[in-house]
Amino acid sequence: MSLASLCHRVLSDLRQHLYTQIITTVVVSLSIVIFAFFTLIYFNLHQFVERFGTELGLVVFLTNDIPQGKIPGLYQKLTELPGVEKVTYISSKKAFKRLENYLKGEKGVLEGIDPKFLPPSFEVRVNRAVFHLKRIRQLAEEIGNWPEVSKVQFGQEWIDRLESFLRLFRILVAVSGLLLLFTAGFVVANTIKLTVYARQEELKIMRLVGATNTFIQGPFLAEAFMQGLLGSSLAIGAIFVCYRFLQGLAASSELLRGVNIYFLPWPYTLAIITSSILFCVLGTAIAMWRFLRL
Amino acid sequence: MIFAESSTIIHLQGVTKEYPPDNIVFSNIDLEIEKGEFIFLTGPSGIGKTTLLRLLFCAEQPTSGEIWVDGVALSSLSNSQIPYLRRKIGVIFQDFKLLSDHTVFDNVALSLEVIGLNRRQSRKRVMQVLEGVGLAGKWSNYPLQLSGGEQQRVAIARAVVNRPAIVLADEPTGNLDQERTNEVMMLMEELNARGATVVFATHDDRLYENTHRRVVKLPEGKFEIS
Repeated sequence: MSLASLCHRVLSDLRQHLYTQIITTVVVSLSIVIFAFFTLIYFNLHQFVERFGTELGLVVFLTNDIPQGKIPGLYQKLTELPGVEKVTYISSKKAFKRLENYLKGEKGVLEGIDPKFLPPSFEVRVNRAVFHLKRIRQLAEEIGNWPEVSKVQFGQEWIDRLESFLRLFRILVAVSGLLLLFTAGFVVANTIKLTVYARQEELKIMRLVGATNTFIQGPFLAEAFMQGLLGSSLAIGAIFVCYRFLQGLAASSELLRGVNIYFLPWPYTLAIITSSILFCVLGTAIAMWRFLRL
Repeated sequence: MIFAESSTIIHLQGVTKEYPPDNIVFSNIDLEIEKGEFIFLTGPSGIGKTTLLRLLFCAEQPTSGEIWVDGVALSSLSNSQIPYLRRKIGVIFQDFKLLSDHTVFDNVALSLEVIGLNRRQSRKRVMQVLEGVGLAGKWSNYPLQLSGGEQQRVAIARAVVNRPAIVLADEPTGNLDQERTNEVMMLMEELNARGATVVFATHDDRLYENTHRRVVKLPEGKFEIS
């Protein structure tokens, strides 16, 4: 079958079965909107945890008895670590002052306490582009092993909490995603099957006049390809509108100001569109194979 | 087994068709049909005429025995080879089997499309065939806009447009009045005169009572050739 003949048959089919084609595309589109929306939420939460972890940076507490002469060497060592943006030394005195400022009206609590009781520390800010949460943890472990360092903090508790929430959410997304995918798959597969069954008389006649399975399947598969492509593109478009709306909401809200909302990265978008096309084409091929082998 | 240079175009040897558990449609049939022959396949309704035709175009397989069509043993054909055999056979049904959402032209052109001809290439031949069956003026109509006789003529046009060697007609006049029946018979005679082998299944004995054509009667269980 030539390409021109295929195009002619596809166009003719589209004209004759426009309603069914629209319904199938809408079903595909709706199923993908729901799935992609969940993915968008999950992706943004994941990004938030990543960013939050790196924004906290590291606080490297030194031992109380560290000789003053070793501080510049340590400072140098920290700044030379790849991905480290800024290192600030906080002496015991400065730390004490910060504590006083923090306590404000309750300053009396600190009366009689040696200003050197707080250990000196370095505040380390890392480059977010280089450091992911996992890498920060590794860096903290590495610095923690230095003999002059007593402790390294990087908001571990917060991150652990967020991470465990994210783990739970990931399971929730995975389970709901699978359920959604299954439901969407079931609906789409049955819509396709109904489309094929509705045209089985036509298929029978084609077989009768000597059409090969490839000839019969060609336009159906091309239509399925278009349904998958159009359905998923519409869904991604709808999700983009939704993303812009959420972005506007975040910008105008006091609570959410500063919270960045990200759109699905292009590999995700591409994966959704490709899977949708594959799903439609395979669904049609399977529905037709069942019919054509009879 | 291939009949090289043989004049036999259809050959049935010991063909039996059963539907389990206990419906034997016919058993142990032997039949030879020569190239260019016109035969009537007759017998009362439900005797197996349609089943026999379905075996010939591979819509079903015999329970036992062998069938050769144009020298090819049908049991040796794979599923992917069956369409190529069907292109040598034009089939006409009592219920026309036309695509109601396609025009007359598209219904007829379908037989040419499957063999790879595009619309431009097939236009001339389709119009010629429609002219032949007297429907050239109705090429853009839809089947439901036509009378029964006209629909049957469209079905005939579709069956013969790719010039098949064999035409199988399954009660093609069953739904038509006498005048339309005569028109269809004339078309079938014409096809045969152009060289096609015609197997015409009917239970209407008026169609063959005064004919010189071979009549194959399908009585219950065994063949009787007159």
